[in-house]
Amino acid sequence: MNREIMIRMKNIHKKFNDLPVLKGIDLEVARGEVLAIIGPSGSGKSTLLRCLNRLESIDCGAIEVEGEFLAKEDQGAAHYAAGADSKRILGKMGMVFQQFNLFPHMTVLENLIEAPMQVKGLRREEILPVAEELLDKVGLLDKKDSYPGRLSGGQQQRVAIARALAMKPDIMLFDEPTSALDPELTGEVLRTMRHLAQEHMTMIVVTHEMAFAREVAHKVIFMADGDIVEQGAPQEFFTNPQQDRTKAFLKNML
Amino acid sequence: MEKMIGTVMLMLEGCGITLQIFCITLALSLPLGLFVALARLSHFRPLSFLMEVYIWLMRGTPLMLQLLFVYFALPMVGIRLPDIAAALLAFTLNYAAYFAEIFRSGIQSIERGQYEAAKTLGMSYVQTMRRIIIPQMIKRVLPPISNETINLVKDTSLIYILAMNDLLRVARTIVQREFDMSPFLIAAVFYLVMTFVLTWGFKKLETHYAKYDE
Repeated sequence: MNREIMIRMKNIHKKFNDLPVLKGIDLEVARGEVLAIIGPSGSGKSTLLRCLNRLESIDCGAIEVEGEFLAKEDQGAAHYAAGADSKRILGKMGMVFQQFNLFPHMTVLENLIEAPMQVKGLRREEILPVAEELLDKVGLLDKKDSYPGRLSGGQQQRVAIARALAMKPDIMLFDEPTSALDPELTGEVLRTMRHLAQEHMTMIVVTHEMAFAREVAHKVIFMADGDIVEQGAPQEFFTNPQQDRTKAFLKNML
Repeated sequence: MEKMIGTVMLMLEGCGITLQIFCITLALSLPLGLFVALARLSHFRPLSFLMEVYIWLMRGTPLMLQLLFVYFALPMVGIRLPDIAAALLAFTLNYAAYFAEIFRSGIQSIERGQYEAAKTLGMSYVQTMRRIIIPQMIKRVLPPISNETINLVKDTSLIYILAMNDLLRVARTIVQREFDMSPFLIAAVFYLVMTFVLTWGFKKLETHYAKYDE
C-alpha cells in the first residue's frame, strides 16, 4: 500500500524559557492514520500537538504537512513559511481542545458557520447545509439554536468537533478531548471520534483514554520528559511494552 | 406660574446643552477608548507605552484642569477652538482614557482558548477581535461602562467654568437672580431623569446579553 505521508515532524525542539519540553521529536503520520499520543502530564505531548498547528512555535526542527514545509530547519533553528503559505498550510488542520473553546456568544449553528464565512468567504446559504449535516452527524441538529452554555460538556465537545470539521480539514488534532468531561460523557465524544476514524480522517489524538488508543489508533506513541520513549502498533504496544517507563505508566493507567 | 414656566423653559434649554455635550462625548469617547485599549494591548512597545502615558495624564489630572487647559492654555499657543468644541475635546480625551481601561480589562478577561480556537479556525487578528473577543468583552464591561456613563452626565456640569449655559449654570443664574431655590430642585430632577433613562437603557442591554451564559 502506498503510504502518503500527511505529517512529518523532524527533530522538533522546544523550550519554555530555559526548560526543554521537546527534545528532538520525530514523527510521521500517513493519510487516514490515527495516531494516539499518550504519556504522563508534563511529558510534552500537548505541546507537541500545539507546535504542529503553531499555537506554540518550535525552536528547532522541521514540520511538513502534505509535502509542504510549515517550518524548515536551518542551521539549528526553525524557519516558518511566510504568512500566506503558513496560513494555507495551517488551514489543512482542525483542532479540538480540552476545554472545547466554543464561542459562548454564538449559537451552535453560528459557531459552525462563523469561520467558513469569515475565513473562506462562503455565503450563509452555501455553508448552512454543510453545517447542518455535520451537526446531524454528531447528533446535535436539534441543538443548533442553543447557546453552548446550555449544553453538557459532551455535547459542547461534539459541537467543537463539528466546528473544526466545517472548515474541511484534512487532518484533525485532538488535545485531550475528553479530559475535562465527566466520565459518563466521554463515551459520546469518543464515539464521534471513532466514526471520524472509520471515515479515514487523519487524526492525531493526545489522550488518557487507553481503551480508545488501543481500539481506534493505528499507532501509539508514548512520551515522557519531552522524548518519545516507545512507539508501535497498539496491540504490540499495550500487550508487550519494551521500556520500563512504558510498563510503569501502563500499569498505573490500566 | 408664568415665571415658573419661564424658568423651566430656560432650564430645558440648559438641558439641551448638557445632553449635547453628553451624547457627542459618548459617541466619540467609546470608539476612541476601544482604539486606545487595543493600542495599549499592542505588542508594539512604543505604541503601548504612548497609550499608557496618555491614560496616566488623563486619569492623573483633574478633568476641570483639562477643561481649563483646552479652553485657556491652547489659545495661547494659537489653537483657538469654539467653546463647545473645546469642551468636547477635553471631555472626549478624558472619558476615552477611562473607557480604554475598562475595555482593556474586559479584553484581558477573555480566556486564551477563545483566541486559540479562532486561530486554529484560520481567523485573522482583526476577525478574531471583531467577531469573537469584542462582542464577549462588551457583555462583561457593561456594568462599569454604565457607571462611567452616569458619571459623564454629572461631569458635564463642569462646563460652567467655560461660561456655557448648561443645566446647572442656568439653574445657578436663576437662583442668584431671583433668590429662589427651586431651580436647584428642578435641576436635580432633570439629572435624575437622565440617569434614570440611562440606568434603564443599560439594564435593557444587560438583559439582551443575558441570552447566553459564559
